[in-house]
Amino acid sequence: MPYVLDLRELDKHSLPVVGGKNASLGEMIKAGIRVPPGFAVTTDAYIRFIDKAGIRDTLFQVLSDVNAGDVASLDGASGTLQRRIAETPLPSEIRDAIEEGYDRLCRECGVPETPVAVRSSATAEDLPTASFAGQQDTYLWIQGGARVTHHVQRCWASLFTSRAIAYRIRNQFPHEKVYISVGVQKMVNAKAAGVMFTLNPTDGDASKVVIEASWGLGETVVSGSVNPDRFVVDKVILEAGVKNISAKHIECVFDPKQGKVINAEVDPKRQCVCCLEDQEIKELVKIAKYIERHYGKPMDIEWAIDSDMAFPENVFIVQARPETVWSRKKTQSVIGAKSGYQLLMEQAMKRIKIPQ
Amino acid sequence: MAEEKAGRFPDPHEFQVPPELEGWEEMYPTHHLFSADRAEWEKQQFWYQDKIHAPDPLPPLDLIFQEAWQISLSQYTTRVFCIPPAQGIAQRLMGCYLYICAVAPPPPEIIQEKAGHFEKRVFYVFEHYDELWDKWLSKFKKLGNEMDAVNIPEELPKFVPEDKVIPAPTGYYVSYDIIAAFDTLVNQMFKGWQYHFEMLNLTYLAYLMFADVARKLFPGISESAIGKMVAGAYVSMFRPEEELCRLARLATSLRGAAEILKGANGVEEKISELNKTPDGRQWLEEYEKAKDPWFHVSCGSGWFHYEGSWITHPEIPFNYIKGYVERLERGETIERSLDNIEKQREAIVSEYRALIQTDEDRKSFDDAYKVIRTIYRYAEDHLFWVEHWFHTIWFKKIRQLGSLLAKNGMIESPSDIFMFNRYEIPELLTELSTWWALGEDIPHRGTYYKDKVKKRRKILDAARKWNPTPALGVPPEEVAEPFTIMLWGVTTDKVKEWLKGVDVSAGADMNEIKGFASSAGVAEGPARVLKLLKDIVDLKPGEILVCPSTNPSWAPVFTQIKAAVTDIGGLTSHAAIVCREYGVPSVTGTGISTSVIRTGDILRVDGDTGVVTIVKRAS
Repeated sequence: MPYVLDLRELDKHSLPVVGGKNASLGEMIKAGIRVPPGFAVTTDAYIRFIDKAGIRDTLFQVLSDVNAGDVASLDGASGTLQRRIAETPLPSEIRDAIEEGYDRLCRECGVPETPVAVRSSATAEDLPTASFAGQQDTYLWIQGGARVTHHVQRCWASLFTSRAIAYRIRNQFPHEKVYISVGVQKMVNAKAAGVMFTLNPTDGDASKVVIEASWGLGETVVSGSVNPDRFVVDKVILEAGVKNISAKHIECVFDPKQGKVINAEVDPKRQCVCCLEDQEIKELVKIAKYIERHYGKPMDIEWAIDSDMAFPENVFIVQARPETVWSRKKTQSVIGAKSGYQLLMEQAMKRIKIPQ
Repeated sequence: MAEEKAGRFPDPHEFQVPPELEGWEEMYPTHHLFSADRAEWEKQQFWYQDKIHAPDPLPPLDLIFQEAWQISLSQYTTRVFCIPPAQGIAQRLMGCYLYICAVAPPPPEIIQEKAGHFEKRVFYVFEHYDELWDKWLSKFKKLGNEMDAVNIPEELPKFVPEDKVIPAPTGYYVSYDIIAAFDTLVNQMFKGWQYHFEMLNLTYLAYLMFADVARKLFPGISESAIGKMVAGAYVSMFRPEEELCRLARLATSLRGAAEILKGANGVEEKISELNKTPDGRQWLEEYEKAKDPWFHVSCGSGWFHYEGSWITHPEIPFNYIKGYVERLERGETIERSLDNIEKQREAIVSEYRALIQTDEDRKSFDDAYKVIRTIYRYAEDHLFWVEHWFHTIWFKKIRQLGSLLAKNGMIESPSDIFMFNRYEIPELLTELSTWWALGEDIPHRGTYYKDKVKKRRKILDAARKWNPTPALGVPPEEVAEPFTIMLWGVTTDKVKEWLKGVDVSAGADMNEIKGFASSAGVAEGPARVLKLLKDIVDLKPGEILVCPSTNPSWAPVFTQIKAAVTDIGGLTSHAAIVCREYGVPSVTGTGISTSVIRTGDILRVDGDTGVVTIVKRAS
């Protein structure tokens, strides 16, 4: 199995080698959804790395003695293992594969040193549906082949944070059967970004798409560090019946001086300005409906709007996963099977209270 | 000024109209005024200004429509179809403006009794709707034609014609005709308004029922989405515009007709030019055919004599036709595709239907939809036939009577007749008959009537300049009357908005107004505030129309405006229907827009959320 696979080569069947996140991106690209270009560093690369570097046995040896309830023991093991991964040199064939993949991406984008997001995508053998959401690291705005490979290695290391270790012990996932893939994807220079749900998470109403959006990259929305603008849009007629505009005091943007993304203060004048245009809202809803139809279930989607490109080519999907809360509930009838006359009689008897 | 008591509007019995309106009461019948003998009841009701039917001060004779609907609407609810907890809608006048109130539900035993009748009578109507509608239309057309045929003498002859005396006297003459004519017209108007509500209350009830089902299944579904599922494309209301399109297309296919119609000449010159060629005559023939009934549309709502119609103001249809001819010559399509509208509606319904999660709910939705689709056409069609066609005939006949009065010096101009209420006009006509019958050199009280007209016109002008309070009395605890919610859009929020707007001076600082999101989309542009419907000529393309309520007869205007904002208009107000059909964003039922917004203010109208923002005030 190759160490690097273009996102376009992936689909839902690729999950064991590239993790759920990357497989889902590939699946969407195949379905014609606009996803930023990129590639996945496969779980094989990770396995090859720990084998070739001769650290496989040490890793799991250390872990076998950890007591999940003992913070000091967890932290100690985590520190040792993460250091070990970071300090072990990458085998050249893996380094070459990642750097070649990055160069190809730069050529495709026509931008030397294209900024990319480097994201972990963990997967458990025999447990394809296990959720490790949010446990592994994500690095934004990484530029240059050497820095990309460095951050791939950091992603691998994040498989051994105290939290990740404890989670696996608690859920009885054998450490040696949990692998990690890394996605390397062109950064969207986001004017605005956020998440959306293909049903209303508040009441489960399947006729709505709910969008949460803020200035800059979507990290502020995902992490809950701003009160996002919120739009509740009717799926059929595409009207935003609710538009709650919040004071979005910070935005996640790339700072060229520091060479990294930071949470910058938003100019007070811009804080309460709606961060999406009507046409962007409509486009997002259309995409959300399409994704939901493609997967055949309610979805939870991350998106971003590029500031350098023209509408609608600037609307990107960066992540999509099944919605879990409402999908698990049993659907119940709201009205029950009634005849038109019954309904009419009920209406006729109704009085509408006007609270004083 | 004393602070308003929180949560209530002025007491109608303490309320003072501006002094310039002094004497306004004498224009109207006493049962339409707040009165000491009914004070106890009146003080406890909630009276809100009816801007749908009477956005302007009421000329005395135009009150007849209001009198007629008060009876008819109420009786269908209380005594004909017996909607169990609902009662009628009562009217009062204050400073020449109409206020209405939904009467509180009757005692429980009456509700029970009504429920039995309701079940039997209402379900019958739904089962036989198509056949009932055919019957309705034919009897209504018959009534209108009878009104049109009422004999109104053009003048009072010096001597009655010989053929009316020999070989046998007819026995009654012009003096009888003029008295009888008005009585007949009044009776026909009342009958027409009885017909008006024949199925309307049920239509509104069905709409509310369907809207409720839709809201339960899709919480937060917008009115405009519900409206889109319900509204029909093949409705009479859109026929006048379709006829204009047809005539414009015909003109471009005939030799010379388009050129004449595009010219700067007045209507009369255009007609006489058209008459000179066979092609022109062919066009005129088609124009005449279209006139009855389709150009019997009011330039306003149909509720005021001064609005005029496409019949009294032929320059309006001619101008529209001119515009359409020009668009056709530029290669544009002018007709709306009705098939597409139908298809779009079906697509929307099936998309919502597919979102329903259980079979049981789908059955309820299907049944509810069937009920509303069966009857909804009535809401859309009756409007053309009653408020437009029938009222246009009425105004024509009344003007003929006015003309007779004016010719004989009782009033200055024919339209002065509208300055007298329907109980006073028989007095004028009886005096005219008497004066004619008495012979030569007899004085009549023309000066007295003319003075009265002058005084009344002055009061009405003053009333027009006054900004009346949106409501009087105490807001109700509950509403069970379908029209109140649906047509006037009276809800808790609405009442609160009104309470905010009671102090109109506060309006100067307001920059956001809420209403119903009745037609989707967002638009920004300069406002054109049209308090009087006849001012529509001032409207320029690209402006946002702000008015008490819009009307389907303005149809061609909707292709020019960016958005529409109205003071009053609920779920399926005329404005909401038309704006949706034309894809124009609109916010209706704002309550206070025409008093807060000024022409030239830059507005942002959000038809998705129902918010109107004043972006920039006109300097």
